[in-house]
Amino acid sequence: MVNATYVGSNDDFAPKLMAGGGVYDLITPSIDTTKLMIDLDFVEPLDTAKIVNWAKIYPKFLALDGIQKDGAYYGMPYVWGAIAFMYRDDAFATPPSSIADLWNPDLAGKVSLWDDKSSIYVAARLNGDMDIYNLSDEQIAAAQAKLVEQKPLIRKYWATAGELVDLYKAGEVVISNTWAGYQSALLAAEGIKVTEFIPTEGAEGWMDSWMVVKGTPNAECAYKFLNMQLSELGQCGVANINGYSVTNPEAAKNCMSPDEFTALHQDDPAYLDSLMAWQPLGERFEAYTNAWNAVKAQ
Amino acid sequence: MSLIRRNLSGVLVLGIPILWIGLFMLLPYGIIVTYSFWVKKYPTFAPAFQLGNYLTLFSDPQYLRVMGRTLKISVLVSLASAALAYPFAYWLVFRCRSAKLRTWLYMAVIAPLWVSYLLRAYVWKTILGTEGVLNSFLQWAGVISEPSSIFLYNQFAMVLTLTYIFIPFMVMPIYTALEKIPVNLTEAAADLGMNPWRAFWTVTLPLSTPGLAAGFTLTFCLSFGDFIAPFLVGGPDGNLMANVIATQFGAALNWPLGSALAIVMLVVVLTIVSLSDRMERKGMTGGV
Repeated sequence: MVNATYVGSNDDFAPKLMAGGGVYDLITPSIDTTKLMIDLDFVEPLDTAKIVNWAKIYPKFLALDGIQKDGAYYGMPYVWGAIAFMYRDDAFATPPSSIADLWNPDLAGKVSLWDDKSSIYVAARLNGDMDIYNLSDEQIAAAQAKLVEQKPLIRKYWATAGELVDLYKAGEVVISNTWAGYQSALLAAEGIKVTEFIPTEGAEGWMDSWMVVKGTPNAECAYKFLNMQLSELGQCGVANINGYSVTNPEAAKNCMSPDEFTALHQDDPAYLDSLMAWQPLGERFEAYTNAWNAVKAQ
Repeated sequence: MSLIRRNLSGVLVLGIPILWIGLFMLLPYGIIVTYSFWVKKYPTFAPAFQLGNYLTLFSDPQYLRVMGRTLKISVLVSLASAALAYPFAYWLVFRCRSAKLRTWLYMAVIAPLWVSYLLRAYVWKTILGTEGVLNSFLQWAGVISEPSSIFLYNQFAMVLTLTYIFIPFMVMPIYTALEKIPVNLTEAAADLGMNPWRAFWTVTLPLSTPGLAAGFTLTFCLSFGDFIAPFLVGGPDGNLMANVIATQFGAALNWPLGSALAIVMLVVVLTIVSLSDRMERKGMTGGV
């Protein structure tokens, strides 16, 4: 039996694990946070020989630095997707296509943005600073100023996936960023028509990996779970429920309909290259979070 | 034998509370004070003895701004609670003739405390929202033609929600203070030719100051440390001190700065409590 705890953002993993061990056996942080988990010594190196489908994972994921250290793998790539943008169909005559649409004064009080450091990435791109994971202090300050400028238009910064769904449902907001595939599906189920889009300034990409928490007494059970997650059952399970793309294309091909396979870009690994995959910020993490906190304090 | 027993019971009666306070209050305070001198260092933080965190709090405007906002919201909640609770408690004690009705109305104020705080705050979202109960009502009544977004996700909604949630803590001490005032005092004032307003201002109000001060302290401190209302009904300008502290301990992984913030907050609260304590004492000795 699996007991799950949910996080509102990747920045919640470290505090949860720092509160003391023994609670979690497995975690699924994104590729911007996996390195921090390794550096904090919270996770164990994986015995990839025990993971049957390991070799079937997209090679470009296995090549990522964030899940490795000293030649060992610490993360098993599991799902991926885009931080896309989303709007309510009935609120727009001309569909929005740019991040600038979230700064449109006509939408005052109808805009929402993820309460996360990634808002700095969004504002930086609007400023034309495309190297979003290596911003200088000046560029971060400019992004901060841009977000402060946007504040009067913001109805609410969304903190959890469910909160954003509620904001659309209650008619509070009409445009926001989103975890592509997930919230739009929840809204569609509620009969609210929304459309996701990748803005002209590009979108961030994310990839979540399973990591085994150091010192877990349930290692054997954990590997069984990892194998299930990478199998057709696990991969299509997450694709169908969360609307995310998966990392084992062979499993995806077997268990998805051809339409779903294409819709989730499983046939098109180049799509991933078009996304700006999250990177660990390391020492610069503080500068980003501090700027975002300053925006919220304003 | 009896001496030993007395000592033993003394140890039990005093020792356990002292141990409790030491273990669960003083020790944690000590730990927080210690952390507040440490430094942030990737991936977490490192022991040090320096005042950099406190300096940051007073040099980076974001912290003073949030501190000012938190003070403002807390004072507004206390004022609004007092303005609503005082006339209500006064009416209950001096004007309500039926003892049964008085008990029922008093219970009606206290009863919401049995309902989860989170639930009560959440309900305000459904009342104040753009498609909420209040907007539907105002549209039905013809007051507005379009739903308005001015009720929710701003500081007004926070003050309203916090006032609603904490008002029992204002009613209870004021009620108790008013109840203790002998009726013959106001009667004596009337006999001496005071009109009811003057009797209220010079007799009743001063005698109820301790209750008012206690209510003010309670509602102020509870609002000052709140972080749920900003999250549920606050807007983009709703961040309070407790939210910033939560962020520092959480997302920012900066426990030293979070600890320094907590210490500053503690100092503010202790100042308020000692001020109100002084006021309560003055009310008690100066009045009778």
